[in-house]
Amino acid sequence: MITNKKYLVGVFNDEHTLVDAFEKALQKGVVIQEVYTPYPIHEILTGMKTKTRITYAAFFYGLFGVIALIGGMYYAAVIDWPLHFGGKPFNSFPSFIVVTIVATILIITILTLFTFSARSKIYPGKKADIVDERATNDKFIIVLDQNNMGIEMPEVTQLFESNGASEVYQKEANSN
Amino acid sequence: MEDRLIVQKNFKYLLFGMIGIGVISMLFGFISDPERAWANYLLNNYYFISLSIGAAFFGAIQYISQSGWSSAFKRIPEAMASYIPVAGVFFLLMYFGMHSLFHWSHEGVTATDELLAHKAPYLNVPFFFFRIVLFFGLWTIMVRLLRKISLKEDEEGGMTYFYQSEKYSKVIIFIIAISFSLFAFDMLMSLEPHWFSALFAAKSFIAAFLHASTVITLIVIILNKIGHLKMLNRSHLHDFSRYIFMVSILWGYFNFAEFMLIWYGNIPEETIFFVKRSEGVFQVLFYANIIINWFIPFLFLMPRMTSRSKVYILPVIVILMIGQYTELYYYIWPAVVKGSKFGLLEIGTYLGFLGLFTLVVTNTLTKANLVPKNHPYLEESIYHQF
Repeated sequence: MITNKKYLVGVFNDEHTLVDAFEKALQKGVVIQEVYTPYPIHEILTGMKTKTRITYAAFFYGLFGVIALIGGMYYAAVIDWPLHFGGKPFNSFPSFIVVTIVATILIITILTLFTFSARSKIYPGKKADIVDERATNDKFIIVLDQNNMGIEMPEVTQLFESNGASEVYQKEANSN
Repeated sequence: MEDRLIVQKNFKYLLFGMIGIGVISMLFGFISDPERAWANYLLNNYYFISLSIGAAFFGAIQYISQSGWSSAFKRIPEAMASYIPVAGVFFLLMYFGMHSLFHWSHEGVTATDELLAHKAPYLNVPFFFFRIVLFFGLWTIMVRLLRKISLKEDEEGGMTYFYQSEKYSKVIIFIIAISFSLFAFDMLMSLEPHWFSALFAAKSFIAAFLHASTVITLIVIILNKIGHLKMLNRSHLHDFSRYIFMVSILWGYFNFAEFMLIWYGNIPEETIFFVKRSEGVFQVLFYANIIINWFIPFLFLMPRMTSRSKVYILPVIVILMIGQYTELYYYIWPAVVKGSKFGLLEIGTYLGFLGLFTLVVTNTLTKANLVPKNHPYLEESIYHQF
């Protein structure tokens, strides 16, 4: 998200004023870039209209995991290297299931983590993009892109301030 | 919110008709094939008592976890639990069918059978009925108590009744955990007294919880369809279907854990249970149970879209109601009837008990406002959304 861009940042002290200002801004046609809150808020989640497809990805990783594991164990235990274990048949399917459950969870977790990291462009050692330090503490932050705000800047500032923003300021993001 | 259920005369006649069918088919069964008739009697009795116990447990954990979303629907579990005393009478009437059902109740069987002689201090007819009286007494007292507190809250309000309900809910889950385990041992596992499995109790309890959650959801949806419980929205449905989804996974887990250990251990005393059930219809039912009770709910209720819509939840509920029947059929029939007979007797008996259960539940539902009035979480429940 960080490029050499100019931002308008609205700082709010509590959830209610934030949601109020957020909904009014949406009604007026303001394009909101991002909202940072200390905890998830339903109205923001639905208002931002962000949809995730990661659940579908996770489902297909799970399907892949189940097929690959059962197939792999079948290949190892029946086709490639059949061994007798305690009088059990080569294809001792019920005992494969335990391994399948546990390893599928692992596969889903790891592959979903990788997918998520790749999609949101984060990797180990990356510096955090923090627009306002206080967003990591107890403040609620709305971030707008100055080039694409929907309406004029003074109007936005006025809208935020009249709806209980404790501070509205401009910021030039430094690329990293 | 004033919301009273008024039962139509025609509906009552329908229920009485169903009970009539049940009585006639039972009578016919007792004359023609008493063992099969008693097996039907036990199956349907257990079917509906497990729904009641599961509902009582559902209601209790809503209080203990202080769930907000479900508080507007708490009359439905309460009404289902009100069937417990009725079922208690039916279980006591099983006295006349002990010899048809339970091999260990025969005279002189302990003289030749060492294992049954060893188990005799626990498995004997007087103590069996003492346990039934004790369990049903405890359940009835606890359920009545919670119901009374809940009705008082409607009139007076305040937090005291909520805290009382929470306290007694903690008591009831302990009572259910211990007594329902022993109850499942008595009613289902002792049909084959030479076989034993410690997981059986947990499995039966999970099955009861699963099917009670589905029936609660079914009743909520039906009441909503005929114009009550207007606040039911997609988020409530999602929460109900998450219960079904979650408990069906648990059911699959317990079912598999029991089977896998017995299969892997390969001890003749234990495997006999599955050996008996590895022929004909029971082999099919073994797989059908897994598909019906775990696979279908797991797959169908996983996406967000289906778990929020009545159109998708209703078929799953119906399938799960069949699933409970097939599961109990799988336990009881090989042990008692020693064959896979299914006919008008089974359907008639099921209809009879279903009619009675519905009659008791609707009767309790009409006695109080469908939406509790002064529950502290009521507001949160009505505007529940996520």
